[in-house]
Amino acid sequence: MKTNKMKIWIGCGGVCVLSVFLSLWYAIAFNDSRLVVPMDFKNYVFEIRDLPMIVSVSLACIYLVALFVMLFIHAGKKQRQAEETGITRKINPKLGCLGVLGFLGFAGFWTYSVDGTVFPFAFFLFFGFFGFYYEGKMSGTFMDERFRENIARAKLKAYKITFGVMLIALIILCQGKLFGNLEYTLIAAIITFSLAFALGIFLSEYLLYRYDHDDQAEEGEE
Amino acid sequence: MAEFECRLKKYRRMKDLTQEQLAEKVGVRRETIMRLEKAQYNPSLKLAIDISRAVEVPIEEIFVFK
Repeated sequence: MKTNKMKIWIGCGGVCVLSVFLSLWYAIAFNDSRLVVPMDFKNYVFEIRDLPMIVSVSLACIYLVALFVMLFIHAGKKQRQAEETGITRKINPKLGCLGVLGFLGFAGFWTYSVDGTVFPFAFFLFFGFFGFYYEGKMSGTFMDERFRENIARAKLKAYKITFGVMLIALIILCQGKLFGNLEYTLIAAIITFSLAFALGIFLSEYLLYRYDHDDQAEEGEE
Repeated sequence: MAEFECRLKKYRRMKDLTQEQLAEKVGVRRETIMRLEKAQYNPSLKLAIDISRAVEVPIEEIFVFK
């Protein structure tokens, strides 16, 4: 992505965050914290003072959706480019740090205890982003037929392990209620599946790196 | 994988080509040529033909299946 375009996106993100904070301040200071604290939306009546909060949150949502669409299109473009040029996409290995986002999954324990929300458990999936480290290390590698074979080999092994883990987890969880509670069983299923998917994402990159570099370690110079 | 003997190293040297040069000629990485020479990689038919053309030796002379 061009630097100018990136600056615009970052700028828009900054404006959205700022507008949300300003409207939060306005709502807390002048609007009795309406739309900030949990409220009963069944009896909600629109007031003109709610407008800043509604506008800023809507803007932030639109921005996030647009950002995801843009990233999706950009990733697709890079993928096509890699296919055409036969060179792996360029990624900074530091992006592997995004795997730390997987710890957000632990937020699920808190949200579940507060209001029974379980979706944050799915954030364990982000542990898979550690794979970007290995993908980054293989950035710009020419994909000849042996490299493509290694990709297929690594993916196959990663999928086998992932589905194996999922099957074992499913068998164990389906034995009966975990801790005598069906809800806990389902939460355990979300956590296990998220971790299994993360493992799959990470392993396909890690194994490819290992296959490629084990080969190179054995080979001498000429 | 079928066991085979690869005589690529001999023919490559006869043509006075380095692994890097041959790799570039046939459109693969140098590591692939190394693996081929050690008979640790079974090439596709296309790659085998490309190599055979690059070193100007018939395929069956380069890759000898036991």
